[in-house]
Amino acid sequence: MSQVVDPVDVLPAEGPAEPLPDGSTRRLPRLATVLGWVGGAIVVALVLIAVFAPQLAPYDPTERVGVPFSPPGADHLLGTNDVGQDLLSELIHGTRVSLLVGIVAATVAIVIGGTIGTVAGYYPRRLGATLMRGVDVVLILPFLPLLIVLAAYLGRSLITTTLVIGSLIWAGSARVIRAQVLSLRTRDYVLAAKSMGATDRWAIRRHVLPRTALLASGEFVQATASAILLEAALSFLGLGDPLQKSWGSILYWAQVRGAFFGPAWKWWVLPPGLMIMAASLGFALLAFSLEERINPRL
Amino acid sequence: MGRFDTRRIGQYGLVLVIAVTLNFLLPRLMPGNPLALIAGVDVGLLTPDQRAELVTEFGLDTPVWQQYVRYWQDLLTLDLGYSYRSGQAILGMLLERLPWTLLLTGSALLISGVIGIVAGAISAWRRGGALDLTLLTSMIGLESMPAFWLGMLLISGFAVSLGVLPSFGAETAVSGLEGWDRLVDIAEHAVLPVLTLSIVSTPGVYMTMRYSMLEVLGEDFIRTGRAKGATERRLLFRHVARNALAPVLTVLALRLGYAFGGTVVIETVFSYPGLGRLVFEAVGGRDYPVMQAAFLVFTFAVLAANLLAELVYPLLDPRTRASA
Repeated sequence: MSQVVDPVDVLPAEGPAEPLPDGSTRRLPRLATVLGWVGGAIVVALVLIAVFAPQLAPYDPTERVGVPFSPPGADHLLGTNDVGQDLLSELIHGTRVSLLVGIVAATVAIVIGGTIGTVAGYYPRRLGATLMRGVDVVLILPFLPLLIVLAAYLGRSLITTTLVIGSLIWAGSARVIRAQVLSLRTRDYVLAAKSMGATDRWAIRRHVLPRTALLASGEFVQATASAILLEAALSFLGLGDPLQKSWGSILYWAQVRGAFFGPAWKWWVLPPGLMIMAASLGFALLAFSLEERINPRL
Repeated sequence: MGRFDTRRIGQYGLVLVIAVTLNFLLPRLMPGNPLALIAGVDVGLLTPDQRAELVTEFGLDTPVWQQYVRYWQDLLTLDLGYSYRSGQAILGMLLERLPWTLLLTGSALLISGVIGIVAGAISAWRRGGALDLTLLTSMIGLESMPAFWLGMLLISGFAVSLGVLPSFGAETAVSGLEGWDRLVDIAEHAVLPVLTLSIVSTPGVYMTMRYSMLEVLGEDFIRTGRAKGATERRLLFRHVARNALAPVLTVLALRLGYAFGGTVVIETVFSYPGLGRLVFEAVGGRDYPVMQAAFLVFTFAVLAANLLAELVYPLLDPRTRASA
């Protein structure tokens, strides 16, 4: 076992939280609930923007509709970029890329991490130890550099970006889920079921997975927040899909054209970054509120 | 504890072998002409003779296992080849860039480490209090901020609008500055990139420290300490913080990999001549050998930092020291 703090490893997974030394108030859970609602509202708003992007956007983001480098005006609320595309339309359509990559990559991550975590937790001896060795390797490799190397070789498309991110961020979830399964497999009801001849498969399906689902959903939401940031970073480095402008690639062009050296930073640099931050924050707040519910001692 | 250490070293070795093998396999598994991916050459522009020469140079006409053995031989003799773009020896390029990246990551890790640990300790100590809630919320917010965007905003604010700090490079070119003046110049150039990297690295340290502290706070010896009438201050620093610190150190070493990731985007924004910027340039110029070599240096540095943390760990944690 590594010494990195493993949330569920050391704590009882169920049952009431231990009273805290200073007789702490109920303010933390209340904050978590409020933040959870804020996060949920942000996510819902972004999903609506993504779904209705063609209706909301004033122009087709791929068309040259104005004079390049225009400042904001009546025709273009956020001005135009270096080739005369409408920045607001790009921003609205970018929501689709960001959410799609974030959610699909997180799904990939949770499928890999959940499977490996469950198997490693339920069979902790040889198989589990070997799997966790693999998890440690993935955790220790320098993340973004590896992501860049993979993306550079695999080519620039939405699908590769998504798969590459998903196949690299699962390791943390695998550890958390393994710890939970590890503590569940010795519970009375699992032992009772097994003593009555239940198969492992049945015990996992009936007893282990339902009690891991909430934890896994928290991990999924957190993974979405990270995936959104990683997609933005890759696109910012010019490794995004050249046909699908995302918030990261808007900033890539702003960087290439030196937009932040002039007044253009207010309409070309600030908005896409705020969108990235909002999207990542929305999911992160949801994850925080879920985690507080699962593990109230935090 | 000795057995534990050797197992760890074995594991780091394994990571290194995996990184090297990945580097070796990736360009060879991709569809298309492996020559373009290995040497980074625009194959179409070469004459057949030049192409044949390169195939021989990279041993692409030999069996794959021989290529693999040769790959390791070259690595171990530090023969990293030449950049396709600049023709420079890659080893020299790396050595030239590495100190700048170490300056950035070292300073940022130190700053974010201290701030994150202190803030995390205070937060856990006052769990549920107004200060804890404020810190916690703002750290979640900071964690969602894209590093490169923060860098761009800082340039707009400090370098362009206020004009107080330089916005690009590691020092003023052809300035002829020497001694103390040159150090000041370098420090001025480092302020904004280090600030950016520190800001985005702090939340991770903070979360870990806060969590680790809460763990320790629930343990028996804290209750005993309280019962014995130890002052709150003494309890916080001597008992809780010290015990909580050891796991945080390990996480700090792991986060070096994260910080290196940060340098790629941050050095790109600030045109800072470090390894991260080199990766960006290599990717943009399809200079694959350079990109691969930089990735290996990052991996090696992360492993070294983790090994160092393993060695220091027993000195910090009273529990592992007792059983050593």
